[in-house]
Amino acid sequence: MSNKKVLLITGVANYWGGRLASRMVKEAGFRVIGIDARPPKVKVEGMDFVQADVRNPALVDLLRLEKVDAVCHLAFNEHRQRSEADFDLNVMGAMKVFGACAEARVKKIVFKSSTKVYGAQANNPAFLPESWPLRGRSSYGYIRYRVEIESFASGFAKQFPDMTVTSLRVANVVGPTHNGPFCRLLRSRVVPRLMGFNPIMQMIHEDDVVEGMAHAVMHDRPGAYNIGAADLMPLVKILRLAHCVDVPVLHPLAYWSMGVLNGTPLKTAQYFPLDVDYLRYRWVGDLAKMKQSFGWMPQHSAEEALAEFVKNKQRSLRKHEELALDEQFLTEAIRQRRQAQAEEL
Amino acid sequence: MSDNGIRPRCEAITRAGTQCKNYAADGSLYCGVHQTLPEPETVTETARPRGEIYIDVEGPSRVNQNGAGQYTLGIENEHIETPVEEFRRHLAKEVEALVDRLQAVTPAFVPPPFTPKGIIELVTQFIERLPDEQSGTALEKLQELLTEEAFDPEFWQGLWFIINYQLQMQVDMVKRRLTGDYVTDDWGYDPEFFDALRPFFDFLYKYWFRVTVTGINHIPDSGRALIVSNHSGQLPFDGGMIMMSILNEHPSQRLLRNLYATWFPTLPFLSTMLEKIGQAMASNENGTRLLEQDELVGVYPEGFKGVGKLFKDRYKLARFGRGGFVKMALETQSPMIPVSVVGAEETYVSLAKSDFLARLTGFPYFPISLRFPWLGLLGVIPFPTKWYIDFGEPIHTDEYEPAAANNLVLVSQLTNQTRNVIQEMINTRLAMRRNVFLG
Repeated sequence: MSNKKVLLITGVANYWGGRLASRMVKEAGFRVIGIDARPPKVKVEGMDFVQADVRNPALVDLLRLEKVDAVCHLAFNEHRQRSEADFDLNVMGAMKVFGACAEARVKKIVFKSSTKVYGAQANNPAFLPESWPLRGRSSYGYIRYRVEIESFASGFAKQFPDMTVTSLRVANVVGPTHNGPFCRLLRSRVVPRLMGFNPIMQMIHEDDVVEGMAHAVMHDRPGAYNIGAADLMPLVKILRLAHCVDVPVLHPLAYWSMGVLNGTPLKTAQYFPLDVDYLRYRWVGDLAKMKQSFGWMPQHSAEEALAEFVKNKQRSLRKHEELALDEQFLTEAIRQRRQAQAEEL
Repeated sequence: MSDNGIRPRCEAITRAGTQCKNYAADGSLYCGVHQTLPEPETVTETARPRGEIYIDVEGPSRVNQNGAGQYTLGIENEHIETPVEEFRRHLAKEVEALVDRLQAVTPAFVPPPFTPKGIIELVTQFIERLPDEQSGTALEKLQELLTEEAFDPEFWQGLWFIINYQLQMQVDMVKRRLTGDYVTDDWGYDPEFFDALRPFFDFLYKYWFRVTVTGINHIPDSGRALIVSNHSGQLPFDGGMIMMSILNEHPSQRLLRNLYATWFPTLPFLSTMLEKIGQAMASNENGTRLLEQDELVGVYPEGFKGVGKLFKDRYKLARFGRGGFVKMALETQSPMIPVSVVGAEETYVSLAKSDFLARLTGFPYFPISLRFPWLGLLGVIPFPTKWYIDFGEPIHTDEYEPAAANNLVLVSQLTNQTRNVIQEMINTRLAMRRNVFLG
């Protein structure tokens, strides 16, 4: 075998797994193995794909056989609803992958987390350091499971001190291709927000998330890091820049609808890709540790990321306009034909 | 314009740019004054759009200079070849001379608001509120207009123009903000928003509470400092007034970053407003960070115990928190500037506190005052008491190591020292004060 380092990426069929795999195959010093239960929609050239579930105990044998140096655990279902299936993949899956890594003596684990794990609370300081307690007690599945994984991972890192466990707590991801909660919020034309609340939001470009993960894979950076762009913007400004029509909702009404109406067939939660608290309070990560110990800075500012997102959003809007234009052509053609027929008569 | 249909009015356009109001002479389109004008086809003024301001330099007026700096305006219809700039300069000079002459003749005379000088002051006030670039163009326009006596309709047109200009600017600002084109800092401070709110704070500061400030020189022009003040008055107007006192009285016009209670972020509108005027939630992390950024930070260690004081306990300082502010100052080596606010205690007369209503409404305390809740919102209007804000000698913390923040004995000692200093300052001021409303 060559002296290339072996990187195993879980969840390569999902967005982040696929993005990181296609980024890492370009690195000469790495051999990339991808693993997922379903084949990736777009084939990544140069990646060694294994179709398997990460929860399979035989993963240990694969790790041992391939002498895997680093595992990037990205198998995660970002669903709003809590379900047993998601819990099994997200939390149990992470535990099983981490366990297999310890068993096979893999030196490094990198996983993606979110600054949402700190929780949106009224008494949050303006900038949340990585040492801040994880108080994300949301009803949303993807937030709750991330908190569980984080607290498990910090215990795991203490248990195996010679392993490098890196957690990347990324801010709101914005970009032309990503379909996370924040992008979903901004992509809709009409966006609900809480009346009288305008929290400052931290954002990051999707490409920077991939770069940050690659940086963590290529360097030894144990611990948790907040990852985000340095410039911050209030939510209302973001909505205005993204050409959204914002509808202010009374906050007790929003909570009530989430609690009561969500049980009925009228699923109000679908209009809130971010939990209500996250639209009410400030939850901005402190980037000092990213700049100093992580030794990396995002390439895009939040403003640039948002501008790119908006450009893409407008392009998709323009397609609708083109359709409308076609309709105009059609009606014009019909009118001309009618006229010609009338003249003939 | 206002043709009554009986007798035709003069077709000419006056120099003010409005239709001549005289009736036309028989057999002519013009009145007696405008008889000398050429036929309408050649009158370019008729094409002048309404509301647009300009001075017709090639047209009717010119300047003659007779001897000792006496400027008189020429008669209409005489043609001159003076370049535009020179012409404008002459006219501007003339206004200045006019104003000076008026003052020289009657030195004791204070110009009422509608004399040229008064109007100029009025206009200056308007212009000061515009950004530099725009005020430049506005002044230029005004200079063109202010060439004759101030009662010329053109002047009023100019004033209208400026007001219109300002209105347009505000509309532009609203439009700009609606498209998300504005800046805020990392803490959410939005200077434009603050400017919009400032007249209200200024009103409270100058006219309602008539704040008198002493010792403002204790605040550094730059660099970190922690302002420690007593807290009183049921509603935290005192924080706003200390902020306004520094903005209005201190040469550096620094923004004071007050730390507000953790209850406020849960409130709609108020949370956003506080953030936009540059305040931050009270926490050790926020305070330390702001001080490290060399900001001016304001703390009110009495907290809710201080604001919610009963009237009978007025000017008796409550416990100064847990000394968190001293830790912040020690850690960042910032001087602590004690401040006493006198007058705020009497803005409401709180007789009792209702625990039951506080729990029911979720308020941290629920005052039963002379007017609240009996008079509803009327009870929320503060009494217009006379306020004194006294800034004391800074208490320096740089003689200690930053690690001294962990020395609990020192922290409690400094906490008590600060509290005593402020109590002393309050007592001194109270002894000097004769009347709650007049000072």
